[in-house]
Amino acid sequence: MVKWTRTCSVVAGLLVALAAVAAAADRIFTNPKPDGHLRALFPKAAAFSALSATPMHFKAYAADPKVTPNPPLLGYAFWTTDLVPNEFGYHGPIHVLVGMDLTGVITGAIVDYDSEPYGYFSMQPPEFGAQFTGKSVRAGFKVGADVHAVSRATISISSATRAIRDSARAMAKAFLNPADVKP
Amino acid sequence: MQPGDPWGFEEDVAETWGDLLSTQAVDLGVLAAFLLLAYVSFHRKSVRLKYVTLLAAVAYMGFAKSYLISITNIFSVLEGNLPVFKYNLAWYLFFGFTVVSTVLWGRFYCGRVCAYGAFTQLMDAILPAAWRVDVPKALEARAGWIKFFLLAAVLAYFFVTKDTMVYRFVEPFWMFGLSETSLLLWGGIGVLLAATVFVRNLYCRFLCPVGATLGLMSYLTVFKIKRWSECTTCKICEKTCEWGAIEGPNILVTECVRCDDCERVYADEAKCPHWRILDYKKRKGGMIPLTPVRG
Repeated sequence: MVKWTRTCSVVAGLLVALAAVAAAADRIFTNPKPDGHLRALFPKAAAFSALSATPMHFKAYAADPKVTPNPPLLGYAFWTTDLVPNEFGYHGPIHVLVGMDLTGVITGAIVDYDSEPYGYFSMQPPEFGAQFTGKSVRAGFKVGADVHAVSRATISISSATRAIRDSARAMAKAFLNPADVKP
Repeated sequence: MQPGDPWGFEEDVAETWGDLLSTQAVDLGVLAAFLLLAYVSFHRKSVRLKYVTLLAAVAYMGFAKSYLISITNIFSVLEGNLPVFKYNLAWYLFFGFTVVSTVLWGRFYCGRVCAYGAFTQLMDAILPAAWRVDVPKALEARAGWIKFFLLAAVLAYFFVTKDTMVYRFVEPFWMFGLSETSLLLWGGIGVLLAATVFVRNLYCRFLCPVGATLGLMSYLTVFKIKRWSECTTCKICEKTCEWGAIEGPNILVTECVRCDDCERVYADEAKCPHWRILDYKKRKGGMIPLTPVRG
């Protein structure tokens, strides 16, 4: 008797929670205005294009295209979640904005949003993203070798690292000349 | 490098299961050894092996790896936000073992795999029994409900806010990560552990939302604890149970963590009335010399 009332009330509670799922569905966590991050990735850029094209990316320009037509291109910025949407950490995708210059060197990686339970001591501290600055797209990207391992947060660190590596490599293949990219 | 590919990135060469397994072999091997130990200690009903399992759970599953089933895993399952399988084989072995063992035996995970549960059970074994307060039966039964309400509340909160970090306020498992810096939260852990000195396994029995989830799944239990017809009147197991999981002849699957205490009693032919009565009937008219349950 007690057993059944207990089960029923818990099931009712779960149904309420599931109804809330439907209400909160389709929330988008990609930062729609990452202007500050873009400037941090390309401090010398005068202007950035909108997020566009396939694969989705921002272009960093040395001069404002509204003033100077066809300004020199400095590099690309892109969301890992656009390039490798199937890369999941411990709890969903880790949203990293990555900058890369025309020689395949990463200018920075900024973790913008994640819901990793152990993110606060693994890939959220800026030290994590800073490790990638100056790294070539041809580097190893191996956690424990050229990327610092964090014990008890292996899933988060490995996923964020793979997301940065794979998105940068996909961008390099799409837009860079392999001869310009040194190891 | 594949012919015609000027990039030759490593990940373009198809990863074989051999590659994936070789990089994860140590984690998988140690975890499999631990789970085997947990199973053998349970299968043999060995007290000594159980304590070895609990020590290993605290050291390896807790402090070394922080492999604990968390409320965030329940969020993940409900949302389909799970880690990538091929890169996280050990985590999937752990998660799969928890689900399968719960279906087979009930809250087996809580009783000997969970590092926090192992920690409080070890506290209970070390601290003087005289400090312990036995919660009155009626209060214990009511307090057991808190975890289900907490589960429902946390799920509702999560699905409205999508804030996974709420886990820090409803479960103490992050203490094994040792990276939390909030003094308020460490203070909370201090209070919880201090209370656990007096009320054994307080969190597991009354508060744990993961335990509540596994408790609900335990209604599926395939291999249940055996009961005799004598269990309707005998209270030996009920008194032996440290988890408040026995009510007369019934085992409350939501509370039972398969600790083996009652099963050791009823397998004991000198203690369990079932065997005493059989023995008595065999030797009609003889005395039934019952021995005390606890020394």
